[in-house]
Amino acid sequence: DSHIQYERVGADVTMKCGSMDWDAAVTWTANGTDIDESHLNGSYLILKNVDLSQSGQYSCYEGSSWHLKYQTQLRVGTPPKEPVLMCRSNNYPKGFYCSWHLPTPTYIPNYFNISVIHGTKDMVCEKDAVPKNRCHIRYLQLFSTVKYKVTLTVTNALGKNFTTLTFDEFAIVKPDPPESVVAKPVPNNPRRLEVSWQNPSSWPDPESFPLKFFLRYRPLILDQWQHVELSDGTSHTITDAYAGKEYIIQVAAKDNDIGTWSDWSVAVHATPWTEEPKHLTTEAQITETTSASTSSFMAPPTTKICDKGAVVGSGAMAVCWTAGLVVAAYSILFI
Amino acid sequence: GDSWGIFPFLCAALCNLPALPALNCSEELGAGQSIQQTYDLTRYLEHQLRTLAGTYLNYLGPPFNEPDFNPPRLARAERVPSATVDLDLWRGLTDNARLAANYRAYSRLLCYLRVLDGQVGTAELRHRLAHFCASLQGLVLSIGGVMSSLGYPLPAGPAGPPGAPPGAHAAPNDFLKKMDDFWLLKELQTWLWRSAKDFNRLKKKVPPAVVTLRLEARGF
Repeated sequence: DSHIQYERVGADVTMKCGSMDWDAAVTWTANGTDIDESHLNGSYLILKNVDLSQSGQYSCYEGSSWHLKYQTQLRVGTPPKEPVLMCRSNNYPKGFYCSWHLPTPTYIPNYFNISVIHGTKDMVCEKDAVPKNRCHIRYLQLFSTVKYKVTLTVTNALGKNFTTLTFDEFAIVKPDPPESVVAKPVPNNPRRLEVSWQNPSSWPDPESFPLKFFLRYRPLILDQWQHVELSDGTSHTITDAYAGKEYIIQVAAKDNDIGTWSDWSVAVHATPWTEEPKHLTTEAQITETTSASTSSFMAPPTTKICDKGAVVGSGAMAVCWTAGLVVAAYSILFI
Repeated sequence: GDSWGIFPFLCAALCNLPALPALNCSEELGAGQSIQQTYDLTRYLEHQLRTLAGTYLNYLGPPFNEPDFNPPRLARAERVPSATVDLDLWRGLTDNARLAANYRAYSRLLCYLRVLDGQVGTAELRHRLAHFCASLQGLVLSIGGVMSSLGYPLPAGPAGPPGAPPGAHAAPNDFLKKMDDFWLLKELQTWLWRSAKDFNRLKKKVPPAVVTLRLEARGF
């Protein structure tokens, strides 16, 4: 007759030898090793202030016949602490997923139950096979004013606990980082680096739900990042790189209008193009080479907005708030 | 030369904002540009609404100004047009239907907001509401402009909240009235989020328009 027994860390455990009388002569073993009689009270096994190391198989044998009278698996653990729950939509507008874990281990099996309520409706969060402790929900409706309420309950043999998250549809939108970030030097341009990337593959509809991007870069030797926000396109040319220095570059993504920025992408390294050093022969030739290549080390001008196109003479025009938005865009077209 | 092309565009942009002095311009505006403008307006309004809603909910007091206030939807609140829509249905909307839904929603929301404007207590709130209503009016006109330039008829708009003059469906008590206000602001916020997506979709589908350049002496 074998079963499992769960006990709290620090508890006092009394094990009875099945149906044997208190005064019967028995021998207890823990994982096959005999237990000293000092732990016995008659035929009962007393374990005081149990710790994790005392988990194992406990068996009780009748004194003379060595018949196995009782066997149990002792599992020492703790009741669950409040679980950590996170919900996120990285595939908007398809739906969202929730994932969870316990802040500290319990050392015994735990069962998680998740419930999602949207207004008056109960929704089913489908459990993912991999990773465990994750489930996903498909949106049936979009642009909802009613919040979602997600409750996660964790139960084990020693207790239970729960946590709740309440959020708006828009608040949990956070894309995955951009993928396939590539940075390349630009031939004959010692201060440029061409960076390109792709939308995260988990984002299902970049046409209707466009992403904007944030690029950050710095030379390895400096701590301060430079930032560029890009509302369009999946590439950018850095034009102010320090010649010859290795750069570290990362990109993040965000839905154009809602939610929060993704984590930073995997970092890529790149060094701007530098001219190949020519063979040093005579001094005269070295001087010639240096003066010839000086021009290529001049910083190329950064893209200037053509001031001609941006001139707006009238004071009334300056009031127009959209002017600022469109002037830049349109002026570039008219350069 | 080419750089003069910017002015008809700026002029038309100004014409679409009624709060600003009307300028005498006769340039045609491509639908593509006005969709972009309408999109920009929704973002501007969404930003404005955040401040307005914060002030207004504080005026209503608790529990309305609590961040996790999540009341059930009461039947009476469904008079306010909802942005909520089935995903596939939303995807499948024709350009006309998409624009019309926005036009109708903001027209009605504007009416309700104007009713609100007449009722609020503090001068600061009245001022903010008035400013917001003016901007919202601009949005309605902007959407109307897009529809016209694409050749769609404007939906017949009600003069006030449909069915009854303002106040006829007045809430029976103060708390329910505040609930109505809460949901009005919530729906408005959600509509502005939705519109950003609606106009993103429209931007992609309507081909970039050609702006007619008419060079007229304006003394610039």
